[in-house]
Amino acid sequence: MSVNSMLSVKDLRVSVDNKEILKGLDLEINAGEVHAIMGLNGAGKSTLANTIAGRDDYEVTEGTITFAGKDILELEPHERVGEGLFLGFQYPVEIPGVSNLNFMRTALNGVRRYRGEEDISAADFMKLVRAKAADLKMSADMLKRFVNVGFSGGEKKRNEMVQMAVLDPKLAVLDETDSGLDIDALKTVAEGINAQRSNDTAILLITHYQRLLDYVQPDVVHVMIDGKIVKSGGKELAAELEEKGYADVA
Amino acid sequence: MSDILSDTYRNQLSALTGMIPSLDDVRTRAFKKFAETGFPSARSEDWRYSDLKTLRKNIFEQAAKPHSDATIPATICKTAARLVFTNGQYREDLSDLGDLWQAASIRPLANHLMANPDRASDLVHGNDGIAALNTALMRDGLVLNIPAGVEIDEPVEIINVMSGAAEAATHTRHLIELGEGAKLTVLERFIGDDSAYWVNTIMQARVTEGAVLKHIRLQEEGSNAVHTAKTFVSVGAEGRYDTCNISLGGLVARFEAHVRLLVDEATANIDGVALAATGQSHDMVAHVDHRMPNTTSDQIFRTVAEARGKTAFQGKIVVAKDAQKTIADQSFKALLLDRTAEANAKPELEIFADDVKCSHGATIGELDAKALFYLTSRGIDPVTARQMLVEAFTDHALLRIPGEDLGDAVRDRISAWMQARVNSATESAA
Repeated sequence: MSVNSMLSVKDLRVSVDNKEILKGLDLEINAGEVHAIMGLNGAGKSTLANTIAGRDDYEVTEGTITFAGKDILELEPHERVGEGLFLGFQYPVEIPGVSNLNFMRTALNGVRRYRGEEDISAADFMKLVRAKAADLKMSADMLKRFVNVGFSGGEKKRNEMVQMAVLDPKLAVLDETDSGLDIDALKTVAEGINAQRSNDTAILLITHYQRLLDYVQPDVVHVMIDGKIVKSGGKELAAELEEKGYADVA
Repeated sequence: MSDILSDTYRNQLSALTGMIPSLDDVRTRAFKKFAETGFPSARSEDWRYSDLKTLRKNIFEQAAKPHSDATIPATICKTAARLVFTNGQYREDLSDLGDLWQAASIRPLANHLMANPDRASDLVHGNDGIAALNTALMRDGLVLNIPAGVEIDEPVEIINVMSGAAEAATHTRHLIELGEGAKLTVLERFIGDDSAYWVNTIMQARVTEGAVLKHIRLQEEGSNAVHTAKTFVSVGAEGRYDTCNISLGGLVARFEAHVRLLVDEATANIDGVALAATGQSHDMVAHVDHRMPNTTSDQIFRTVAEARGKTAFQGKIVVAKDAQKTIADQSFKALLLDRTAEANAKPELEIFADDVKCSHGATIGELDAKALFYLTSRGIDPVTARQMLVEAFTDHALLRIPGEDLGDAVRDRISAWMQARVNSATESAA
């Protein structure tokens, strides 16, 4: 683990409903890097994302996850967010009765309290969220609506990006954020991801296709098959996968 | 029913006889019915989810005036008038009529019946032993008449505070009449200490042509109380009755709304939220009778129960043969916060007309684990996340509450309830 290690996953084994999905996975991500994990359906990509975020029906049977030097396996999901983690959902959840604004403000204040900071004032919050929404071309009306209710697939993903921008995480794990997007939405989302890139942050993209990687250039590409990373390389690996398929590359 | 019990209530009847002469006959007939039927038992279909053994096993004398004056809680919203009862008796000295007396007529029940003996025939005798006993033993209540065309903007609050009334009961009867095109909002509040008392109350309302009555009930009885309440409302042409019953207090609580839509274009919206803490039982009944064509009704009920808490909903929609083009909807959802929590739902539709649009839905479930994870994965702690989801869940039934401050006051109570659940869970874990 290097000194600027953001995420270090070692020999991770995870079971869901007593079925082992991750079978000894290793992954090292440093600050300033963008990694992409590619793999077919059922390879365990979403399991990895959910395990990093701390979803409780994912049972870690072996291995460690260290985030910014801290063992996070014993932390609750909201505590991991407080430490600076963000999970972008493949299928963002609809929550009728809770407005998007209230949701994001409660989230941001939850993170601030975890860090021992004061709540953000209503005025400052509105300023922040309006700016982030404008960057991602999300209308003010969508901020007032119930969380993801009646949003199109693309709007839901855009909403994920606004939440990420508001929470400003150290590490964003984005689970198939590109799926279900038309080309314009994909470009907007890619801009959102690129805006999150810095020397102090890291991004883990989980994807099926190379498409997103045309707009967000990864530093490292990993190939995941049957619960393990079987090959890692530069961004040219993504193109190779697209061309030859997983069986031949791995 | 035991002899002791019926003797007790018969003595109470004798003590009341002659006080309002025009009521004597009404009382006697109602008591006869009570003596025959007794308290409803769980064997009767309409009462299968309610446990009235407290009423069957204990003797409830008529509540006396409180020894020392009970503390009357502050108002929770701007009001046009505040009408205060303590232990079921109207307290002119504690009430504030504001400017209401200039626009409307407000009288205690006894004064009204002394002045208008023939109006005793207006009194509903009710559908069971509980209502019959209320009719036989009613002592006090308010008669509110809003003349045609008069619109009262802010709510009229009727608050009853029970104090030091262990094993005592109060049977109140309110009569409300809205003239053509009149508008009124009534906020009924029920508060009490922890003694084992019984509040048995009936409100009758007549909403005439084009009038609008909004009726919000905030039931926060003490933790050992029995609360039985019924509302009987008739709605005339293009009139509307909106009610929302918030049931939070009491050990055993039951609210029934019986609404008849008598003339074309009459509307009723009947909503309710009940939160059942451990050991509590909340029962809500909504019964809408569509008598004439083009009438509309909507029912939205949401209940939440924690460990060993119990909620029930019985929603009945009857559409008469002539009531073509009726639109009637009903939605009931219950949330169980624990495996030992209980919810019962009984939707009943009796439709005799063939050109109607009626729908009903009932679901009982737990908090959505996916939604909970989504909220916590954004940095919201699990306690707050649960609170947000419960509040969002109940909110559907609160949307028709008029006035922002009243709506906020109700929402504050729901979030305080959730907070109390969290605190007690933390204490028992510690």
